[in-house]
Amino acid sequence: MRAASAPRINSMALLILPSTLLFALFFFLPIGLMAVMSALTGNPVVMPNVAITAKHYARMGHDGYYLEVIWTTIRIGLWTTLASLLVGYPLAHWMARIRSRTGHALLLMAVLAPMLTGIVVRTFAWMTLLSDKGVINQILISLGLITTPLQLMYNETGIIIGLVHIYVPFMVLTLTGVIGRIDERLEQAAENLGASPWRAFIEVTLPLSLPGILAGSLLVFALAISAYVTPILLGGFQIMTLPILIYQQISANFNVGFAAALGMVLLVISLSLVIAYNHVLGLVSGQRELQ
Amino acid sequence: MSAAIEIASVSKIYDGGVRAVDSVAMDIRPGEFFSLLGPSGCGKTTTLRMIAGFDSPSAGEIRVDGADITHVPAHKRDMAMVFQNYALFPHRTVAENVAFGLRMRKIDKTTIAAKVKSALAMVELSGMDDRRPAQLSGGQQQRVALARAIVISPRVLLCDEPLGALDKKLRQQMQFELKQLQKNLGVTLVFVTHDQEEALAMSDRIAVMNAGRVEQIGTPAEIYDQPRTRFVADFIGDTNIFRGQRVAIDHGSGIAVGNGLVLALPVTAAAADGDVLAVALRPEKMTVSTTDAGETQGKGSSARGTVESTNFLGGAVLYRIVLESGQRVLAQQPNSGAAPLHRPGQAITLGWRPADLVILED
Repeated sequence: MRAASAPRINSMALLILPSTLLFALFFFLPIGLMAVMSALTGNPVVMPNVAITAKHYARMGHDGYYLEVIWTTIRIGLWTTLASLLVGYPLAHWMARIRSRTGHALLLMAVLAPMLTGIVVRTFAWMTLLSDKGVINQILISLGLITTPLQLMYNETGIIIGLVHIYVPFMVLTLTGVIGRIDERLEQAAENLGASPWRAFIEVTLPLSLPGILAGSLLVFALAISAYVTPILLGGFQIMTLPILIYQQISANFNVGFAAALGMVLLVISLSLVIAYNHVLGLVSGQRELQ
Repeated sequence: MSAAIEIASVSKIYDGGVRAVDSVAMDIRPGEFFSLLGPSGCGKTTTLRMIAGFDSPSAGEIRVDGADITHVPAHKRDMAMVFQNYALFPHRTVAENVAFGLRMRKIDKTTIAAKVKSALAMVELSGMDDRRPAQLSGGQQQRVALARAIVISPRVLLCDEPLGALDKKLRQQMQFELKQLQKNLGVTLVFVTHDQEEALAMSDRIAVMNAGRVEQIGTPAEIYDQPRTRFVADFIGDTNIFRGQRVAIDHGSGIAVGNGLVLALPVTAAAADGDVLAVALRPEKMTVSTTDAGETQGKGSSARGTVESTNFLGGAVLYRIVLESGQRVLAQQPNSGAAPLHRPGQAITLGWRPADLVILED
């Protein structure tokens, strides 16, 4: 018989303490508070007799306006994700397959450089391009292609253009990592067996890069639906999205409970996507079939 | 069905100016098992990739059955390749992997199913249809790669060190099977390897490559027994290489390799006295005996020495011998059991036939 040794704390485990504290204090605690607030009639700090209620959520369900805002937010997120994918995939593929080190460095710089400029600055830059008297409309009019300026701003198109520009690097970097790990010889094997380069891409590279497509899309979508500055500036308050609505509820209406409930909706949308992502990933990678 | 491949002074120069392949020329005959043999970086894989169409030559032409295919894209060449790492599609089942080439050829489903079944049976993988490559052993993956290549009945089968990752026993078995399969199908097979034993065992003909150039093309026996260059003699098997000046001796000519040792040259040797030559002598072409060959001494076909080390190889014994004239040579004797092994330190006499000396180009 041997005496059971007392459980010892591995000293290495202490290293994760700072990040654990950080997450607990600044991530789980605020989200927990937000969840609590969304189910209370008022702020328990200033009001003594608060009660648990579902009225904030009921308000969203009954008023078509809020459902409309949620749907607009999701729609902008989806279009931004799709456009980022279409713009980002070819770029990521190029970056992953380029042989020249200099070429790779230049591409990486081109992708990262916009991220060094503030979102506000970049959004204003887009406004000078997209407005009625902006660069694009002026050029098109002077070329005689159009007579009245195109409506490129203060609508969803403008917001999506601005968001794609800001979030496409996230898509590119995520995809480059995944595509770079796909063995080039797999494409060659496909071509060798009679697949055209395009067919080889569809049959081999695309399905194998699906994890990257999913991860990049998830990232861009989550960022796009929670974006605030770009939808305000390029939407000019004509388009209402969830983050703008939340801000209004807090700063103008002082309705923290309702704002918290809207925040929870945003969180649930993102979380359910993460769960769906893990599920789909498990299916496509075929891990379930392995013992 | 099988095709002839002509490689006409093909070069491949990479961006940095590196000549990976330098004016390579070879004619591969229909139905031949043709090996490209050489150390890593000799250009053998680049040559294979140019035949497959993954790399395009900087100069020269590649022709299949007389038709120039130098600029035909890979997917229109009708050649099948077995990759070094097999390059099986990890997201597809074994059957889907094998069916890929047939599917690209727009063959109807029932035919595909039948062909896949027979191809898998041919490589003894029946019943593995629904497995994924990751669930197979290295040897099984290798067979799937082979089945995927042969199922499309290609005109040419290209193999890039396909057996390199297998352990020795399995590799030997696959060598036999691959050769048998190639003969049964009658397909032209171009086989890249750095393993000289493998090349000698399997090939109809071998092209030995070094530093982007072809050193020699010939049958395994020609390559082994009549190496043309010092590189070939050195790369294929063990060999003793001597260098020296040509001199006249009693019955013909010899080569003075230093410290008074003179080796008689074969009578067919064409060279003038005074030329500096290099000659190769295979270890197993020498005899090692304890009897003093007094009367043959000085005729250039024997030398005295001392055994330095004795390596028992099982089927043969390899001796390292220091000659009286100072040179170290390898001599191999079959383990016939007729005579006891010579121990290190023992004085012996080496003998050989002048005809076994091969004159090398440097």
